[in-house]
Amino acid sequence: MEANVLEIKGLVKDYPGVRAVNEVSFEIKRNVVHCLVGENGAGKSTLIKILTGACERTCGEILLNGAEYCARNPKDAREKGISTLYQELNVVDQLTVEENLTLGLEDTFCGFLRKTDKVKKIIAVLKDLEPNINPKERVGRLSVAKKQIIEIAKAVAAETEIIIMDEPTAALSESEINRLFTIIKRLREKGVTVIYISHRLDEIFTLGDYVTVMRDGKHVATKPISEVQDRSELVQLMIGRTVIESYIPKETQAEEPLLELRNVCNHKLRDISLTVNRGEIVGFYGLIGAGKTELARAIYGADDYSGEILLHGEKLGGTPEKAIRAGIALVPEERRTQGLFTLLTIKHNISAMNLKKISNLGLINTTRERNAAKSYIGQLNIKTDSMDKETSKLSGGNQQKVVFSKCLFANADLLILDEPTRGIDVGAKAEIYSIVRELVAKGKTIMFFSSELPEILNSCDRIFLLYEGEIKAELRNGNDINSQDIIHIVTGGAAS
Amino acid sequence: MRKNESNMKNRSLAGKLSNESYLNRVMFLVLITLFAIASMTIKNYFSTATALNLVANNWYIVILGVGVTFLLVSGHLDMSVGGIVAMAGVLSAYFCQPANEGFSELGQGLGMPYGVAILLTLLCCLVIGALNALFIAKMRVASIIVTLGTMSIARGIGQVAALGAQRSAGLPDIFGVIGNVPLFGPIKIAAAIAALLVIAALFIEKKTSFGRRTYLIGANREAARLSGVKVERHIALLYLLSSLLAGITGILLASEMKAGISTRGSGFEFSALVVTLLGGASIDGGVGSVLGMVIGAMILGVVSSAAYGMLLRPEWQFILKAIVTFLAIIAQRYLLDRRNK
Repeated sequence: MEANVLEIKGLVKDYPGVRAVNEVSFEIKRNVVHCLVGENGAGKSTLIKILTGACERTCGEILLNGAEYCARNPKDAREKGISTLYQELNVVDQLTVEENLTLGLEDTFCGFLRKTDKVKKIIAVLKDLEPNINPKERVGRLSVAKKQIIEIAKAVAAETEIIIMDEPTAALSESEINRLFTIIKRLREKGVTVIYISHRLDEIFTLGDYVTVMRDGKHVATKPISEVQDRSELVQLMIGRTVIESYIPKETQAEEPLLELRNVCNHKLRDISLTVNRGEIVGFYGLIGAGKTELARAIYGADDYSGEILLHGEKLGGTPEKAIRAGIALVPEERRTQGLFTLLTIKHNISAMNLKKISNLGLINTTRERNAAKSYIGQLNIKTDSMDKETSKLSGGNQQKVVFSKCLFANADLLILDEPTRGIDVGAKAEIYSIVRELVAKGKTIMFFSSELPEILNSCDRIFLLYEGEIKAELRNGNDINSQDIIHIVTGGAAS
Repeated sequence: MRKNESNMKNRSLAGKLSNESYLNRVMFLVLITLFAIASMTIKNYFSTATALNLVANNWYIVILGVGVTFLLVSGHLDMSVGGIVAMAGVLSAYFCQPANEGFSELGQGLGMPYGVAILLTLLCCLVIGALNALFIAKMRVASIIVTLGTMSIARGIGQVAALGAQRSAGLPDIFGVIGNVPLFGPIKIAAAIAALLVIAALFIEKKTSFGRRTYLIGANREAARLSGVKVERHIALLYLLSSLLAGITGILLASEMKAGISTRGSGFEFSALVVTLLGGASIDGGVGSVLGMVIGAMILGVVSSAAYGMLLRPEWQFILKAIVTFLAIIAQRYLLDRRNK
């Protein structure tokens, strides 16, 4: 048998305008836990999608057991020996554990289900992995951790060679994580190779045999964990020499507090207190699941919270409608489902947040609406041949500019931007950054939530670091800022 | 068309026909074509009388269609309107039947003046609308489930109040007036009320922020909420409006027949939904128009009267209507998909 279960050679994946995976080559040894790390956007997910058949490679070669491997779809990948444990679990809540395990493998006799050896074998695998799950239990009543185990058991029973685990611990408690680790170690004993993706670097040191680091779509290094000195070496590999080019420290002005949070808590946030001053760009950085979106939505009144949020010293009302009236606008995380009315035209989108401004006593003045749309299409350089075009027909970058226009038309003093550059191409990103700077020059205040460190470093005056719903550190941007320390903190390391 | 014709930039941004106007034109063409076919194949079909009858026989669907269109644009169904029509008719009769006449149980009413009876009836209809609003807007139960329930409740109240039959005995003369004021030919004042409501609805739909919010909610409820629209309150208002319009329809129909009939309005909720869909509304919300709904109602009217003219037995009308509706809606989807490719 080959020593390498999987070999990736010169793998490339191009999306329109961006190369997500760039000439990646590395090998994965048989019977190990192989970790894959990198910042958001480093190309890990795309690589995994190619392995599982969810998307097609542009070029390059993948060898499974020395033979050319190409999965047409996730089912095909599973049949060829690569199973995946996604963050979104693939179990049917309404069925029992046993029914879930045998889903799609049922043997029937005259239309009746039969309990064959195959079924008994799968249940034996589950018992072996986790004896505490009753096969007759309804899956909807099990915890996320147990559902994961069911999926793992299904993969093992199908005699998979490789299991890919994408952030499996994101929704687990401490003790559940330990149990998962035990199971992963047992998988290794059974001869299964695990490709393990996690943002929590400590887990990689506990669990991994090998680690591959990716950055900007490229392969940076693959080495045994024993040869990695400590987490700071890993962090260094992940971010490389991120050059902070464009941030220009601002003249320190008299600080005038605009927004104040006092002990804000909710299902995700833990005791957040902070102050945002007028005219600042304040960055909020953390990995996915750190609580950035929850914080943005709490301030905007879109989610419930306890504690106090004050704007100009006055308590905010706790609904988006009141936040808008007080002078706050939100560019939401999910553009298409939360920010945009894709069925409606550009002009109707732009006016949506401030219908009062285009109407008298509830009557809409269409000339005013058209003029507003025309002015923002010009100002923000929205590329379209008509303001009457449905926004579903625009590119991602132009859609985001429409959402920005909508917020600007609401006359907000404070703009909350939640992942404002997600899913848009490099050119549009640069335009968004320059819009942000222009707005601050005009006296607006910006809260910039992002899981991409370079854009936080190049735009923000002050940066808050979030981890697991808590603010772990506050930094002032400048030449002395150290991105390694930042990554250290947002992956759960102690603040220095 | 616009004042600043000289502004080239502005004109180039004005763009082509919207999907909505395009569909309305297509459906208008369908209406003309169907009317032409009917006129060619049926003797004496092409006449003023036919045209007037189209208006006289379909006004109530148009009034109901206004409320249903607004709700459908916001992404919600209202199946309770037919039940409310029946309930309103019976209650308006019950409230103003004499209190102590003692003909029979069905002749026994509350003896109120007609004006008070009408107001009280409309109030009862608003209670049904408020139930819809409570469960759908506030508690977020699926609108189809809630309004099917309130449809039964309203119809049930009508049945109970009319003992499963109708209330007509001892009604004051004024009860039969408002539904029978002649305008010209077969057209009565009720049709004129429907026309006024349509004009008001067209205006509200396109020219007011209330109308705009309805589209915003239907296009993307969450984005509307994050854009500061008071979504729950708005949906509640739409259900109240729809129940009020259904109440008015019920009162007018009862007045026309001078009887509160408990089986009236059965199937009206489906007709109102069908004409709205024929008018190009999307069942998922965000798309639709009152003008389209009126055209849809006329198309359905032409089909029914043509079927009658072709001496088709009335039982066959349902199937004919269904075929036309299906064809029209499939054609709409096809044309829109091709246009937006």
